[in-house]
Amino acid sequence: MPLLGADLRRDLEIRRYPVLAYALVPLAAVVLQAWLPRVLGRFAYFDLPLVITVYFALGRRSPIQGTFMGACMGLFEDALSRNAIGVNGIAKTVAGFLAASVGVRVDVENHTIRLVLNFLLSLASSGLVVFVSRYMLGLDLEWSWYTVLFTAVGNSLIALIIFPLLDRLQIHD
Amino acid sequence: MESIFVRYRNVFVLLAVLLAQIIGLAVQVRRSGEGRSRLDPGDGSGVRLIRLWAQELVSPPERLIHSTSMGSTHLWQNYIDLRNVRQQNADLEKTIDRLRLEQAALLEDAKQGQRLQGLLNFQEKYIYQTVAAQAIGSSGSEQSRVFYIDKGTSSGIARDDAVITAEGIVGKVRDVFPSSAQVLAINDQTSGAGVILATTRTRGILRGNANGQTEIVDVLADNRIQKGEVVLTAGGDQIFPRGLPVGVVDKVVNDPERDSFIDVMVTPAAHLDRLDEVLVITNTQPRFSDQQKKDIATSVDEKGAEAAAILKQEMEQKKASDIMAERLPGLLDPNLPPDQQPLHDTSNPTQVAHPPQALHPDRFSPEANGGPAAPTIPDAQTQRETEQSVSPSPAKPAQTGKPAQTSKPVQTGQPTHPATGQTKPAKPAPKPATPESKPEGQPERNP
Repeated sequence: MPLLGADLRRDLEIRRYPVLAYALVPLAAVVLQAWLPRVLGRFAYFDLPLVITVYFALGRRSPIQGTFMGACMGLFEDALSRNAIGVNGIAKTVAGFLAASVGVRVDVENHTIRLVLNFLLSLASSGLVVFVSRYMLGLDLEWSWYTVLFTAVGNSLIALIIFPLLDRLQIHD
Repeated sequence: MESIFVRYRNVFVLLAVLLAQIIGLAVQVRRSGEGRSRLDPGDGSGVRLIRLWAQELVSPPERLIHSTSMGSTHLWQNYIDLRNVRQQNADLEKTIDRLRLEQAALLEDAKQGQRLQGLLNFQEKYIYQTVAAQAIGSSGSEQSRVFYIDKGTSSGIARDDAVITAEGIVGKVRDVFPSSAQVLAINDQTSGAGVILATTRTRGILRGNANGQTEIVDVLADNRIQKGEVVLTAGGDQIFPRGLPVGVVDKVVNDPERDSFIDVMVTPAAHLDRLDEVLVITNTQPRFSDQQKKDIATSVDEKGAEAAAILKQEMEQKKASDIMAERLPGLLDPNLPPDQQPLHDTSNPTQVAHPPQALHPDRFSPEANGGPAAPTIPDAQTQRETEQSVSPSPAKPAQTGKPAQTSKPVQTGQPTHPATGQTKPAKPAPKPATPESKPEGQPERNP
């Protein structure tokens, strides 16, 4: 019965966006993620592809779409870095899946929930990157707690700003 | 009955996507002989294709953003903020003049260094050709300190080319695409550059840490290393030419894993966080380039002209007699008063005083004694006469040297050895005076 209830709610509150939004918004996120660190220097504590993944996963409320969205964004990010292609892909795949799964059950309009969700999913994504790199692949990857923490905080704050803007893109019946 | 695949399709899709990526990762990672895993430095064709697609997709918007920001910056700098440019230009011209003189002075050291390197059979690489490029984007990841430049194979950039700025080294080219290239910065964890501390001459490997700082690792504890010491490239890594600035020592910390080792934290000279224009060293040669040779020639000319001007100024301050004394020191007699010196008569300063020809030459005549008679020989004709008088054999002059060589000392007023024709160093005449104390062969002066 709860599952049925969740399905009904999902069907009722599923969001729709223009096709171009699915293409341009992730691309813009990747481009800005590549360009903004040059402007902000070492203060670029954010992960825009992850924020966009979480947004679409929450809005669409489809774990499968969230999975593919996260995979695409992560692989794109890996392709632009020196990392092995798949490290960020795995992390954001799981993040997209979790975001969509949680979005079915919670009110995604609430700012506090958005803030907390982004913070937790950012920590989870960073943890997965470290886990895959160090324990699955056995690579020498150093990491620092404060970087992970600052990135999670940055993602949460950016989400508070970007989510209302992206909400304007959705198609209303 | 609902199929289990339909009921748990979300989980199955997730697992399938994860499995595909794990398999892809397994292909990219290699296990070294020491049992350690590492990424395949040369991406496979499939991986490289994915990177190429991603880069080609991201590059156009990045170029657009970059050109827009640069355009607005140039608009401001070139049309609005032009105050004090004339003064700056004048200052820069003075600086160029000064640097050219310094360059000419350093040229001799450089040439000497090259000669010594040649003796040691060691060739040092000099920067020969560079390509200017713009940094247009980064990886956007904290774990990956790479950035992209807007030049690629079409501009002659190749893998492992060194990337520098005017301030210092930046990194090396990790991957090259047709119109862009990926640069691995020196503060990346996987980077490595051979460096040397300028004062203590301590060598080490520069790499990045998790916080994006650069540090020199594998350094034995050395209390001589102080904050502020300059770090230069060592030149042994086959990527960075030797002597390029790297940065300065920020602090020295103990290696947390090894007791006797330290980590030297380095503040990079280049602003790695805010790179704009960089230079890619596409070619290094163990010699000076044509442009460098032109610059050096210009410097030498200017240095020569300046040196001549200084010399002229000094010369004007001297008396004519002093100048003649320097040019013809052998004809000065320090025991005579100045008004009785042989050169005191300045009525015809170009005419050289000649000793009278002996009417009846004997063994005491200067011509018979050889050597010292030569300084007073005015020209080749007299030289030939002297040779004939000393050695009548026709074969001997041919053995002793060319007559033209003997004319040169005559012009300078320096004594010449009659047998070899070589110039002797000009010295003032020692003690004069009495025939008893006169050295053998010393010509007798006759003012």
